[in-house]
Formats: sequence, structure tokens, C-alpha cells
Amino acid sequence: MAGVAKKIKRRVLFLLASFTLLFFLLTVRLFQIQIVNGAEYQQKAIEQWTRDVPIPSKRGIIYDRNGKELATNAPAYEIYVRPVEVTDKESVAQTLSEVLKMDKETLMNKVSANKDTVIIKKKVDSDTVKILREKNIKGLIFVDDSKRFYPQSNFASYVLGFTNYDNQGQDGVEATFEKYLNGFPGRDIKMTDAQGRELPESDRKYYEPQDGLNLILTIDEVIQHFAEKAVENALVENKAKRVTAIVMEPKTGDILAMAIKPDYDNNNPREVPEDLIDQWDSMSSTEQYNALFKIWRNPAISDTYEPGSTFKTITAAAGLEEGVVKPDDKFYCSGSVVVAGRRLKCWRSYNPHGSESFAEGVQNSCNPVFIEVAQRLGKEKFYKYIQAFGFGSPTNIKLLGEASGIVRNVNSIGPVELANISFGQGITVTPIQLITAVSAIVNDGYLMEPRIAKKLVDNEGNTVHEFQPRVVRQVISKETSATMRQILESVVTEGSGGGAYIPGYKVGGKTGTAQKAENGRYVPGKYVSSFVGFAPANDPKVVVLVVIDEPGGASYYGGVIATPVVKSIISDTLRYLDVKPQYTEEEAKKLAKEKVTVPEIRNMKLKDAIKLLEQNKLKYRLEEEQGEPEQDSLVLDQTPRANAKVNEGTVVIIYAKPKE
Amino acid sequence: MPARKKGNIDFTLLITVFILLAIGITMVFSASAASSYLKHNDSYKYLKSQGLYAIISIIAMLIMSRVNYRILGRYALFFVIVSFILLIAIFIPGLGYGAKGAMRWIRVGPLTMQPSEFAKTALIIFMARSLANKKDKVRQFVQGVVPYIILMAIYFLLIILQPNLSMAGSILIITFAMLFAAGARVWHLLVWGIPVIPALIYLVTKESYRLNRWLSFRDPWADPLNTGYQAIQSLLALGSGGLFGLGLGNSRQKFFYIPEAQNDFIFSIIGEELGFIGASTVLFLFLFLIWRGIRIALHAPDMFGCLLATGITCMIGIQVVINIAVVTVSMPTTGVTLPLISSGGTSLLFVMSNIGILLNISRNIKTEGS
Repeated sequence: MAGVAKKIKRRVLFLLASFTLLFFLLTVRLFQIQIVNGAEYQQKAIEQWTRDVPIPSKRGIIYDRNGKELATNAPAYEIYVRPVEVTDKESVAQTLSEVLKMDKETLMNKVSANKDTVIIKKKVDSDTVKILREKNIKGLIFVDDSKRFYPQSNFASYVLGFTNYDNQGQDGVEATFEKYLNGFPGRDIKMTDAQGRELPESDRKYYEPQDGLNLILTIDEVIQHFAEKAVENALVENKAKRVTAIVMEPKTGDILAMAIKPDYDNNNPREVPEDLIDQWDSMSSTEQYNALFKIWRNPAISDTYEPGSTFKTITAAAGLEEGVVKPDDKFYCSGSVVVAGRRLKCWRSYNPHGSESFAEGVQNSCNPVFIEVAQRLGKEKFYKYIQAFGFGSPTNIKLLGEASGIVRNVNSIGPVELANISFGQGITVTPIQLITAVSAIVNDGYLMEPRIAKKLVDNEGNTVHEFQPRVVRQVISKETSATMRQILESVVTEGSGGGAYIPGYKVGGKTGTAQKAENGRYVPGKYVSSFVGFAPANDPKVVVLVVIDEPGGASYYGGVIATPVVKSIISDTLRYLDVKPQYTEEEAKKLAKEKVTVPEIRNMKLKDAIKLLEQNKLKYRLEEEQGEPEQDSLVLDQTPRANAKVNEGTVVIIYAKPKE
Repeated sequence: MPARKKGNIDFTLLITVFILLAIGITMVFSASAASSYLKHNDSYKYLKSQGLYAIISIIAMLIMSRVNYRILGRYALFFVIVSFILLIAIFIPGLGYGAKGAMRWIRVGPLTMQPSEFAKTALIIFMARSLANKKDKVRQFVQGVVPYIILMAIYFLLIILQPNLSMAGSILIITFAMLFAAGARVWHLLVWGIPVIPALIYLVTKESYRLNRWLSFRDPWADPLNTGYQAIQSLLALGSGGLFGLGLGNSRQKFFYIPEAQNDFIFSIIGEELGFIGASTVLFLFLFLIWRGIRIALHAPDMFGCLLATGITCMIGIQVVINIAVVTVSMPTTGVTLPLISSGGTSLLFVMSNIGILLNISRNIKTEGS
């Protein structure tokens, strides 16, 4: 037999040809992968082999101006799990969920994930880690990390801000000075196997992290405490929606304190707000974030309000600087003034101020006087000052979210609007703008940029950068400034700011009570009461602004509720700053006089109240900004309050119910 | 010149096999050293066992090359029956043994073996014997084709139950290849594809997403951590090899990126360490081996020898094609070892024994005088 038939041989050869073709195609495919696309795959492979691990840098510490720690770093841990090493997933998930207070379902997924390592939780404190370590759970890894820590929790919350889980600043100076505080993270670059173990010949490169710089603020921790305490009390006493206080050093523009209540805990900024606990889980994440953003919003720089009478300081300063008015110029208040056919009333139209000097007009906060001054200035000149004092534009304080306020276009305002602005209506400002402008008025006319940070220092204490005080411009002359200080001092000694009077210290200031506008309409019963004060009046060391938003107590008058807050902050601060009280002869005499107790006159008829005060050898002055009282009107409020020990002859300011 | 009674074995084939075997042992060592050290604290564990398997397999090959292949033909039916028994034995609790949800081995004491490897050889011997006897009857559909398809179907079912789709698939292809080689009418073979056609049309028109899912192997990055993982790692290994490779022993992908790199995906490591040049050389060596096998078939002294050599050669060739196609992401991932190269005892033993049979056929080629 001659072996195999031809036909079979042909078939076998066909099989060989098929194999040859397949092998050729596979070689082409191999060529495509290795040569044509080789570089691309190689790049991906290198990325896969390379582990570029960032080494966190130590975040800079935030100090107050005297070196007290306001924000620091506490040791914390990141907890990871290697699922393969976890034998009893169920019980490990259970333990973790108890200790870390996390959802067990989520943890179950993590410990049974089909991955090499899974992160369980970041920023776990050392006590919790200690508990877990003692439980000796196999497969858990603890990695050193640090956690931002604010030693005093709810303290200067809005100045400091907070950081996120990656230690990046999210708000306050933590955010605005992020690039200095953060430092430069190091890197550890190496080749590893699929389990993250370093390969032989891995060409490891290690770059040391560079620690962040320490930040020294202008805040004075002690003054901040005074402010926080005063604001907290004011919030409770007045059942207010919010109370804001700013303390500024006028010469430098340094923010010595910025206290706002209610605030939030910087150590726990994402804590669910108490009033939303019940509905929190049913809220969408956007709603949740909006709620939190509302809490994080810094009212001292982000909220705008109508300043009311405090704005008269600006009108007065502009008028004096332009020479359109002198302190002794005579004015006459008939209770109202007609502007462009509209009758604008003075707040005391029921008992017009009558003839008064300009200085007395300021003391009395008499609206027609300011309308007159504004008219003499004309809107262009008046606007020049409004803008020069910084209204309508941000102050550039180094905090997030500053608002500009609304200053209407000069071309769009008529005589009525001009008149309104002269006493602080129809214009909105932020607290920081107002205090900065008033600081300029008392600081020889120099408008300073508000300064929150003094300098950056390294770990050895060397100054790396100093943020110098910055003069934005001189708005009024030294002389005008001196005149304004005197006039404003007289507001406290003689006028509506009497509540801020501190024996031995010359205090100047201006009250303000404004109705809140919502949707372009004034809302009855909603007020913003404020007082801006400074001391000592001849050489101001501090300017203090207190804004009480929607007071819900018996009184809403700036002169009643805001002045004591400013007074408390100023007196605490001046004593702390070691400014010695200088009593005038009169004050010395008063000090020597017998003390009397202020009687309770609230809810008495006005005439009875006056009689009672006189019996107690006390003087009185009637204050009213919102309407005219009658002899039978009820006394709504008084300052000083009942039971205060005062000298004989002290003026008690009476606030009475206006005529219906 | 009188025809020699006994010829020499095909030394060219023998040398090719030895070269591939040597490459295999070297690469198994290179691919396994790191993981072997970490798992067993011994870098040489796989090298030692693979070396031992190689020695046993070479002995088996030499023995088979001495056993006249015609004797195998006499026991063809016996082999088939034994192979059925072994395949069924897998399902007997205590005997069957497997990993990752597939029962593919039988374990008796310390010895394990893969019955499907034996089944493949048994089927090839049986078909070669039977088809050689059938002569022209193979051209009849019912007598010539159907019985083998039925036989194949039984094997196919038993193996797919393990489950081992790739092994079942190889058996199917081998069966058709041998029927084709034996002279079956082409349409008698193609007709088996008819039931597949409507299913295919249905898939393409009505449920094309299923088809797309099946075709998704082409884009392994769609699911890089699960289904696409091995494919991606294989591509990255081959790609980083480039033209010349990273050099012997320098693979990085073998550090657990490719799990069990010494097994099914060893060709990726070859590509990474030895580059396109090394990888295509290995491909060429296999094609050369196939050519030698086909050459033996063409010169076989009888029809049985021819079909036997064809079957064995196809078996090796199909396994190589599937393995390389998987490794180059030209088809969905399925577990097929690369003959002579991948680590593993049973597979090597049977491949080498089959090569022993090939060598024996080559020994029986009568050099005809001119």
C-alpha cells in the first residue's frame, strides 16, 4: 500500500495551511500589541507599577497676636482593612460599627471587598484607635495622620474656619491662607507589585514634605473672649436672631476680635444643626449643604443691612470735611422737612428738636439736620465720600465671601433718596465696611484695609512674611477727624449713646436702629439695632461695632440694647490693654458723691417715671426714634437698668411707647 | 535501494520539542520565582517540580516512541471506555478534585490527573483507527459522520459538566478536523453549523446587547477590575515588552499583576521579558512543530498513522492557537495552557506522550527508493 491517498494528503495540507494562516494572524496581532500600541500599553503599565504616595505635610498652626494657639494639629489615624486577612467578616463589621459608630452594612461591604486594601475611616482619634488595637483584629491597618484641632471649639469660628478630611482649609483663614498653612506634601515614588510591596530595583524616589507656615492673626484671644461673652449675653437677653461684634484697632485696621453668635463648632462643622435633626435624613444632599453653608456664612462680612443712624457719622464727616457745615452752625428742627414734595419726618416729630447746633443735631440724631447737610453737599460730593469710605466695594479683608453692599447708582437717585441715605436708609452695608469707615473717621481720616493676619512664621519662629497695615486712602483731614471724635464723644456724654458711657474713659459713638427690609419693603417688628463706639475718644485704641439682628426682647433700640454690649467690650478691653482711666473733675466729683440705686420705671406712665427719677436725685432724658410718646405713654425701657448703682445726677435715658 | 525496515525518528521534531521544553522550564522559573518565594519561601519550587515533570514526560515520550503505534490502535475502544470511566469518576465524591468551582481532576493519594487530557488522546486514537477502517464510507453522512459526532457529543457533555468549556471546545474542533482529514464531505461537516445560524441571527437582530457583551472582551477596560482584569494585565505585559523585551527575568507583571503567571498567561511574560522577537520566535517554533507533525502525517505508512499524526498535531496546534489568542485578547478569556511551556504535570505528560506517538509514526516512515 502506498501510504496515504492523494485526496487525504490534500486535506491534511489544507489543515497545515489553516494553521499557518492562524499563526500569521496571531503574529500580526502580537506585532500590533507589542510594536504599534506598545508605547501606550507600556505607559499604562508604568502607571500601574508606580506608587506615588503623597506624604502629608504638617499644617501650620494658627496663633493669636500674642502666640496663643487657636488652631493646631492633633494626632489622628486612618484605618484601612485588608479584606483577605479578615476571617470572620460578620463579627469584625459588627465591632467596627460599634466602635466607629458607622453603618454595619457599609462596613460589611468594605471588609468583604474584592480589593487589596480598603479605607474604613479617616481622622480617627487616638483613643478610638487604642480601643481597636486592643481588640487585636487581624487585617486592620492604622496609618498615622493628623487632624485639625481647635482647642476652644466654638471660638472665633468665623475667623478661623475649618478644614476638610484632606486637611485642606474650607473656610475662614484656614481657606484664605491655605497655600501657606498647607506646606508642600512630600512624595514617595516607587515601583511595587500588585499588593503594593516594593519591587527589587524599584528606583525609589523620596521627597521630604515641607511643613506649612504658622499663621499669626491680629485677633487677640483675650479680647475675642470679651467679645464672645458679650455677644452671647446679648443674644440671650434680647432673644435676638443673631449678634455680631467686631473690635478693630483703628490705627492699623487690625481685627482684634470678631465674634458672632450663634456660631458653629470648628471641630465639628458638619454637625447636623439642632433644628434640622428630625428632617435631616429626608433632605437631599444639596439641601443639607445649603443648610450647612447658611451656618458657615460669616455675617460680619457677608450680610448686608441698612445701617440707619450709624451712617450719620459718614454724612457728618463728609459735611465737615467739605466745609458745608461747622459744629456750631445753627439748625432748626420743626419735626419734619419737605423734600421734593415728600414730607420726611424727624424721629422726634412729636417733640421737634427746635433750634440746635450741628453738634447737638448729631447728639440728637436729628434727621432734618442730616438731610440739610446732604443737600448742601449735593449728591455727587456726598457720593464721593460714601465711596471713599469704602461703601459699595469690598474691604478686601482676607476672609471668604465678602459682600459689597448696595449703593445705588448716583445718577439714579433723586432728592428723596439722597435725603434717605443721609440718615442711613436706602443703602446697605456690611458690618466690616461700617467699622472700617468709622475707624477712618476717628483715625485722622486714614481708611485702613482690615487686617486679619499679622505674619507668617516658620517652625523656628523666624518671620517669613509680614502683612503690613495698609492705608487705602485718607478720606478726611486730621482736623475733621478730631472734630468728629469730639462730636461723637458728646453723643455718649450728652446724647443717644449714653448707655456706652464709662467713667474714666472718653467713649465716642453712634447708635442706630433700622427696620429690616425684605423684598423691598420694611417689615414691621423686625429691626437691626447697632452701636459703633470707640475709646479713648481723644486717641482711639479700639473701635467696636455691635449689630443685633432681629432683637425679640422688650426693646429693639440700638441705644438700649447695643450700647451696653459695646460698653462691656470696650471697658474690658481698655482695662486689659492697660489704658488707665482718666477721670474728669466732674467725674471725680461724681465718684465722690453718694451712690444711688436706679429705680424700676419700666411699664410706668411717663410722667410717673419722671417723678420717681427726680425723687431719686437722677436726671432723665427722653429718647425715641420711632414715634412720639405722650405723658401717659408707658415706659418701655430704660438705661441704665433698674438696680444699677450710679452716681447722683446720672442721666437715665427713657424709652417710651410712641403714640398710636 | 531496499527500503529500510526501521527508520530514524524525526530528530528535527525532537530538537524543536526540546527547545520549547527548555524555554518552558526557564520561563516557568522566571514567572514563578517571586510568587513562589513569597508563598512557599522557596523561589525554586516551581522550577523543581516543572523539571521533575519534564524528566517524567521525556521518559514517557521515549517509551511511547518505542511502542508501535499500531498496537495503540488495537486498544482504541478500551481507551475510550477507560476515558469515559475516568470522566464519570470525577463526579464521585472523594475522587473528584478541583479548584475555583471546576472539578477537573481525579486524585488518588498524592497523584492527580486530568481525565480530559486522557480523553482527548483516547478520542484521537479511536477516531484514527475507526476512520482508517471506514475508508470511503466516511463519505456517507449517517455511517461516516454521525457516529463520531455522537461520540464527540458525549465527551463534550461530560467535560462541559466539569465545567471546562475550552477543553470541550478543543475536542469538538479536533473531531471535525479529523473527519475533514479523513475525507468526509465538507457539507456533511458544515451542516452541523446550521442549527447555530438561526440562533446567531436571533442574537444579532433581537438581542444584540448579548452579542455585544460577548464581544466586550475586545474592550477589557470596560470592567478593569473583574472580567477585564486578566486581559488588561496581559496587554500591559506584552506592550511593555516592546520589540526586545525587558530582558529575561525582568518582568514586572509577574509580581502578582498577572496571577499565577507560570500557568495560562505565561506567554504574556515571554512577551514582556523577551519582546516581540522572543514571542514571535516561540510562535514560529510551534508552527515549525506543527509542520513537522503534518509532514509525519503525510508520510505515514498507513491511513491510521496519517490520521493519528494529524489528530495529535491538530490537538497541539489548536491549544497553541487558543492560548495565544486569549493572551493577545483576540478572544474571550478561557483557561487553556500553552503546551510544553505552561507549568502543570498532566498536560505536559500527555503532550509529550502524544509527541512520543508522533515520533513512533515518524520512525515507521519508509524511505522509498528513487
